[in-house]
Amino acid sequence: MASVYKSLSKTNGHEKEGPANGVKKNKQRVLILSSRGITYRHRHLLNDIASLLPHSRKDAKLDTKSKLYQLNELAELYNCNNVFFFEARKGKDLYLWMSKAPNGPTVKMHMQNLHTMEELHFTGNCLKGSRPILSFDASFDKEPHLRVIKELFLHIFGVPKGARKAKPFIDHVMGFTLADGKIWIRNYQINETEPSKAATSDPAKAAPKEKGKGGKGRETEVSLVEIGPRFVLTPIVIQEGSFGGPIIYENKEFVSPNQVRSEIRLKKAGRYNARAEQGIERLAKKGELGLRTSGGGKMKRDELDTAELFA
Amino acid sequence: MVTKSKLKMALAADKGVDYKKLHLKKKEKIARKGKAKKHGGEVEPTNGKKVEEEWEDVEEESNDEGVELDEEESGSEEEVDGPMKIDFAGIDESDSDSSAGENDQNNEESDDEDEEDIPMSDLEDLDEEEKEDIIPHQRLTINNTVALTAALKRIALPISKLPFSEHQSVTTSEPVSIPDVSDDLNRELAFYAQSLSAVQEARKSLKAEGVPFTRPTDYFAEMVKADEHMAKIKAKLIDEAASKKASAEARKQRELKKFGKQVQVAKIQERDKERKQTMEKIKVLKRKRQGADTETTNEADMFDVAVDDEIKDSKASRKDRQGPNKRQKKDEKFGFGGKKRFKKSGDAMSSGDLRGFSSKKMKGGAKQRPGKARRAGKR
Repeated sequence: MASVYKSLSKTNGHEKEGPANGVKKNKQRVLILSSRGITYRHRHLLNDIASLLPHSRKDAKLDTKSKLYQLNELAELYNCNNVFFFEARKGKDLYLWMSKAPNGPTVKMHMQNLHTMEELHFTGNCLKGSRPILSFDASFDKEPHLRVIKELFLHIFGVPKGARKAKPFIDHVMGFTLADGKIWIRNYQINETEPSKAATSDPAKAAPKEKGKGGKGRETEVSLVEIGPRFVLTPIVIQEGSFGGPIIYENKEFVSPNQVRSEIRLKKAGRYNARAEQGIERLAKKGELGLRTSGGGKMKRDELDTAELFA
Repeated sequence: MVTKSKLKMALAADKGVDYKKLHLKKKEKIARKGKAKKHGGEVEPTNGKKVEEEWEDVEEESNDEGVELDEEESGSEEEVDGPMKIDFAGIDESDSDSSAGENDQNNEESDDEDEEDIPMSDLEDLDEEEKEDIIPHQRLTINNTVALTAALKRIALPISKLPFSEHQSVTTSEPVSIPDVSDDLNRELAFYAQSLSAVQEARKSLKAEGVPFTRPTDYFAEMVKADEHMAKIKAKLIDEAASKKASAEARKQRELKKFGKQVQVAKIQERDKERKQTMEKIKVLKRKRQGADTETTNEADMFDVAVDDEIKDSKASRKDRQGPNKRQKKDEKFGFGGKKRFKKSGDAMSSGDLRGFSSKKMKGGAKQRPGKARRAGKR
């Protein structure tokens, strides 16, 4: 009976939501956490990202790697509608799960080339919790799966306007670029500099009128200084639900790091195998020529052999 | 025909289950089956009727069991459940023309890809060289465009309706093309350019909306990188600059050294040359003199001053020569001259020096150190 009531009430709620959707506000909260078994670099990266996202809630490491659907409950507990989850495998491979919490979709990506803020030694810096400008590559709009990923980035990395800990100024930009089937992520500080006086001394005389008009006659120069962190993501799978549901996209070009490693190992083993085979071949050849004491054919006796001649 | 409780009916209506249609469908199915069996022969018509009856029974039962079963069935048969289904229908209608076109294209594409793919079993027959070029795809391509667009529709923010300051996302007009991903410099430059253009665009629209953009210089708040971290970075930068400078200096020194050696060699050669020249001149003089030996009465001639004269104009004397005076330098550095003995022993001057004495100390006027207990107590 309870289930019946639930389904009925759900449908009613759904109908009510319909018209309200027209004036939807950008309201996001992100649950950030990792699985157990992450390395210190993964942890530092997670901390960096958490410090960049004021609308995030960091939680303790998740104990399980198989029952990821538990994350939905956790997200509900913390009132989060996004989940940003680091899954570490074998203490070296890092997978990033991004999900819209109650209903999905979920994207699983493989993270490579990650560099934390601390180890990069970039001179850029920004306010903790200032809202970033998100810069997307146009190729994100080309394919549906990329559009889904872009939307998730927009929700998770874009700080909503009224976020509690957000700062009022805008001083950094996050770049998402698609290259080589991977998503490259960079974070830059926006550096605004007034044009130097030496350069503007002449126009300053000529344009006092302009100053009177608005004071914005001179264009401030904008440059960027990288802050970090850096990482590269390879999308693997998109699920329809949140940590569950049917798979609606799978990247077939993705080669798992396990496979790469095993191939390297096999290649090394192959070298030994080839050498061993060569050895056997050599023995066989010698046997055929009758150069071995045991086994193989006997050497043909020539007429002019010393043993023949002086028998 | 089906009479049920209101709740169940409502549920059914919500699910979009039409009992009449269901019933009709089932009947059709049964009829078809019956026909097939007839065509197969050997089956009596009565048997078919029996089957029909049985089917109806089953149907009744299932209906009685309620909608839960139906729910399960629909769940297992389709990928989407009730409310989702409704969404789908709406979406498909809304952009039926575009999505249909896309779908067709996508299917074709995936087919093409499948043709290109090479199964692993075929791979083993190929040569090693050929293997290297081929990327084997074992996996099936899953790219459910409809589901993806549906998922996107479900979560998408209405970016076009929202003011820019609400989302702050900029998409480039042209896709960023990076010809070689492993070329670090150009790749990073492309990323930089992309972000920079985005910033310029965003800055304009934010200013238009009247959102504060630039941080005032007197606004201080916690930064992403703490002060210690920035100090570390600064130290590292300084370190780097210093090491660069030091290495440049060292290189310069090395070059100088090399050059110095060349100079030395040249000098030695010159000296040798000079020596040869003087020897030659002396020889020439000797030859000249051999003829008229006794006639010379000049003193200067007697003492062979001619040789000196001859040489003088070519070579400066040793004393006039300027250069590093090694001995003098060494003396300056290490000291030279004077006796070393009794240097440290006292003499009249040192014993007359009374700077170190004080009458206070002689009388024991200095404060005595307090006892251990007192010292401990003070603490």
